[in-house]
Amino acid sequence: MIPFFAQIERDLLIAWENRQDLAVMLIFFVIIISLFPLAIGSNVAILDPLAVPIIWIAALLSILAGFDRLFAQDVSDGWLDQVSLSKLGLGWYALAKAISHWLSAGLPLLIMTPIMAVMLNISVSQIPQLMVALLFGSMGLTLLGVIGAALAEGARRGAALMALLILPLAIPLLIFGTLASQSETGIISPHLMLLGAVFLVLLTIAPLVAAIALETGETETGL
Amino acid sequence: MNDTHLKAKKPTAAKSLPAFGLQITELQVLRGMSLVINGLSHHQQAGDIYCLTGPNGAGKSTLLRTIANRLPIADGNIFCPVPIIYVGHNDGLSGSISGRENLKGWAKINGFPYPSAAIDKALASFDATGFANINVRLLSRGQRRRLALTRLALAPANSLWLLDEPNASLDQLSNATLDAVVIAHATLGGMVLAATHLDFTANASPKFIALPGRQE
Repeated sequence: MIPFFAQIERDLLIAWENRQDLAVMLIFFVIIISLFPLAIGSNVAILDPLAVPIIWIAALLSILAGFDRLFAQDVSDGWLDQVSLSKLGLGWYALAKAISHWLSAGLPLLIMTPIMAVMLNISVSQIPQLMVALLFGSMGLTLLGVIGAALAEGARRGAALMALLILPLAIPLLIFGTLASQSETGIISPHLMLLGAVFLVLLTIAPLVAAIALETGETETGL
Repeated sequence: MNDTHLKAKKPTAAKSLPAFGLQITELQVLRGMSLVINGLSHHQQAGDIYCLTGPNGAGKSTLLRTIANRLPIADGNIFCPVPIIYVGHNDGLSGSISGRENLKGWAKINGFPYPSAAIDKALASFDATGFANINVRLLSRGQRRRLALTRLALAPANSLWLLDEPNASLDQLSNATLDAVVIAHATLGGMVLAATHLDFTANASPKFIALPGRQE
């Protein structure tokens, strides 16, 4: 397990050195959320039911916006060459990337969410279930992003391609996530269980898909 | 595609087979539509230093990357029972963290020992201690190169070193250090395969593999 944690440690160190990227993402999140009321108008009857979906869409866009450079830096530095020769293996490498990316982007976003929820007049009693749903949702989106970043690696216009690949796949997360956040049955709702199931499926397949994509993608991008 | 291509995962295998090192048989590698390496065979034993020569585009880097398992083999096979250390055109260092952190992370993901003393010793061997704690992005090309080469000092004695133009952008002193490190590695039973246009370990009279230019 030492190689696996070493990769996470390395990514977190790099993320900390580039912490302005995190600030950009969080500000992006806040701005998207504050644009909706401006566009829709101040009618509370319309805004109230939209509050949770707004947070979800803002979270989706902010998380995916940070993904286009996930593997690109490691490829151009030559770190991926070192990883593929090491004991780590590309699958574990992809999983380590997902975990460190979630810790450095998903988690701060999650911490920011209650403030945004209060700003959108979501009732305090509803915030815990929104947070739990968004916890699984953000982890699932991170895994989807890892797949997308690996597939788009080396492609021209990788970021746009990645959005095209990933946004349709994010639909189940978005549907179950918004339903679980607003469920009448409390935190542990059927929707949350389905959301958790989607997350678990992604957890098993994302590292494998990313590993295959990174291995074959190298054929045209290398020296 | 190729069942006999074994990755170097088990250093213990080398002890039972001391005579065998790197074996490449009838290797063919495609880049795009063109055959860059056509029917290359090469056998290398423990203690051998080989230099790859050839004009630009002859496939030196391609061959090294194929042995490092970074490019697919079209035909033939490569067998290497020992760990492979690859120092390519890209140094494999993140610009956002220091050389020491880069090196420690690399030792950890490879399962090599990483106590501070070992890292210090490795850094000292390429005289890189002075700039090891500075963010790599602030270093010069040659300094990064030396940090990348520092990995060699952490590698196991029996490993195969694949060096892609290792002495490009090195100063004279570091060049001499690199030669000394490579020769010491070969003396202890390691293998070295280097692609270079410059003088490399001339004192140890390395053997040469000349790759022909690209065939249409």
